[in-house]
Amino acid sequence: MRRAPSVILIVAAVVALGLVPVLAPPFYANLLVPFYGYAIALLGFNLLFGYGGLLSFGHAMFLGLGAYGAAVIAGVWGIKEFEIVLIGAALAGLVVALPLGWLVVRYTGIFFGMLTLAFGMLTHSVLFKFYHLTGGDSGMRVPRMRLLGLEFAAYNKIELMAGPFYYYCLALMLIAAFLMWRIVHSPFGLHLRSLRDNAQKALYLGVRVHQFRLAAFVISAIYGAIGGAILGFRTGLADPELVYWTHSGHLVFMTVLGGFSSFLGPIIGALALTLLQDQLQSYTQYWRFVLGAILALVVIFLPRGLAGLAADVGSFLSSPRRRPGPVQLPEHSQPGVLGPGLRRDDVA
Amino acid sequence: MTAGNLVVDIDGSPILRRVSLEVSAGELVCLVGRNGAGKSTTFRTIMGARKPVSGAIALEGRELLGLAPFEIARLGIGFAPEESEVFGDLTVAENILLPTWTRATQRSATEREALAYRVFPRLERYRARGGQQLSGGERKMVSIARALALDPKLLLLDEPTEGLSPAVVPSIVDGIGSIRQLGHAVLIAESNLHHVPDFADRLYVIERGEIIYAGAPADVRKDLAVARVVDGVG
Repeated sequence: MRRAPSVILIVAAVVALGLVPVLAPPFYANLLVPFYGYAIALLGFNLLFGYGGLLSFGHAMFLGLGAYGAAVIAGVWGIKEFEIVLIGAALAGLVVALPLGWLVVRYTGIFFGMLTLAFGMLTHSVLFKFYHLTGGDSGMRVPRMRLLGLEFAAYNKIELMAGPFYYYCLALMLIAAFLMWRIVHSPFGLHLRSLRDNAQKALYLGVRVHQFRLAAFVISAIYGAIGGAILGFRTGLADPELVYWTHSGHLVFMTVLGGFSSFLGPIIGALALTLLQDQLQSYTQYWRFVLGAILALVVIFLPRGLAGLAADVGSFLSSPRRRPGPVQLPEHSQPGVLGPGLRRDDVA
Repeated sequence: MTAGNLVVDIDGSPILRRVSLEVSAGELVCLVGRNGAGKSTTFRTIMGARKPVSGAIALEGRELLGLAPFEIARLGIGFAPEESEVFGDLTVAENILLPTWTRATQRSATEREALAYRVFPRLERYRARGGQQLSGGERKMVSIARALALDPKLLLLDEPTEGLSPAVVPSIVDGIGSIRQLGHAVLIAESNLHHVPDFADRLYVIERGEIIYAGAPADVRKDLAVARVVDGVG
């Protein structure tokens, strides 16, 4: 029952998020909508980075793809069903990521990072310069869409964002997180972790290294495009800034802040940075300086991010040494087992 | 598996000079040679990690040259390299489970896992332990058990007892004996003749990239030059 406290915390967090539109002013619910977009995108980003060991510096291109996809499908083609837009964005992510991934997954480390950065910048240039096609620096308008076939005509934009769309995004994030949980705990996830650890050894065991990396790249792109569609709907705009390299850096920041070695780390990072940025912007114009300092401190003192810190605090609080009375073995221990794989006869 | 006239150059220097080896089904063969003689290069070449200048490698008549290491592993050659790097972030159980997914054989995944633990029973109680928490001997056991879980036709073990405490060596040798009894062909690289298992069928001695002896283990010292090499006095 070791997971029980974590499950309770997750349920409590979901309930708390569900209560935001009810208990807090619409401003906060509206503020959290981008968080859901980022959370979904980062779930995919961390499949590549945290589980696959491939750090992309151009991942924002897939968020842009999702937002521009929404602009084209809803704005240009006039299909105002958000579900179709999500499917279209996911397909766009798939179609772009397949050939791109085929090339970039042959490289690792700094070369993979630089290649993704280069393709991200290339995408930015195309969006920025092809004015007649993409609207240039003005971007493309993403119109209001129907959710589950419902118009919500009585709601203005803020009410829609802080009400129906908020819950829609919350549900979407939960589904995306559940699917990703299944992915990382499947044989596929184990293969990816082995590649991150030592790709050469994995090859000797028959693992198709490039194929697994490509699959992770494509899945992460699909998650990114879905997140981007949410961001586009929320702002009503798809603009080149979405794919600019600083936005890719923003994704890396969120992931490191939350902790890339934890499944929930990127979600925690997205929430923390969304709230932190909002607060800092209201206090000082030098908020970027403060964010930079925070990132430096996190890297130095909290390499496992906020999720790692939370895990350490949880372990400390539940440590038997902090409790009065006789020392007890953890509930999950088998008779004779002192810890993972350690028995009493090993200690003697 | 047959390897014929393998010539391998690294950065222009000849490392293997017309090396020929053969391991038949169910056989346990040792490749003995000093450090730098070309044992590891021979294994890496068989696994497709090094491209030979010339020569041929075949497994049951199937040409292996030009195939990627993962394809060679899937055809049935398991490799436990000298460094014995286990996947540190994976548990012992996950390390051993991984190859059961990459190659389909007549044995089920459960059966193959069970065999791996039967060969090294000590690993059974370390199932949940992370790879980074293992001692050198345990890492070696996981490395061999993991290669065995591939259910290979041929198992390549590069210096399986190198750098281990003398107290651990018998466990490894016993494990290799069990693997042989399971019917797998085994090719072991060893730098120390004294570590060659008593039950080895044949022996090759490699010196400066050339095979200088091929035959029964008992006859290896009959040639004075070969005896000097295996005794490390040449």
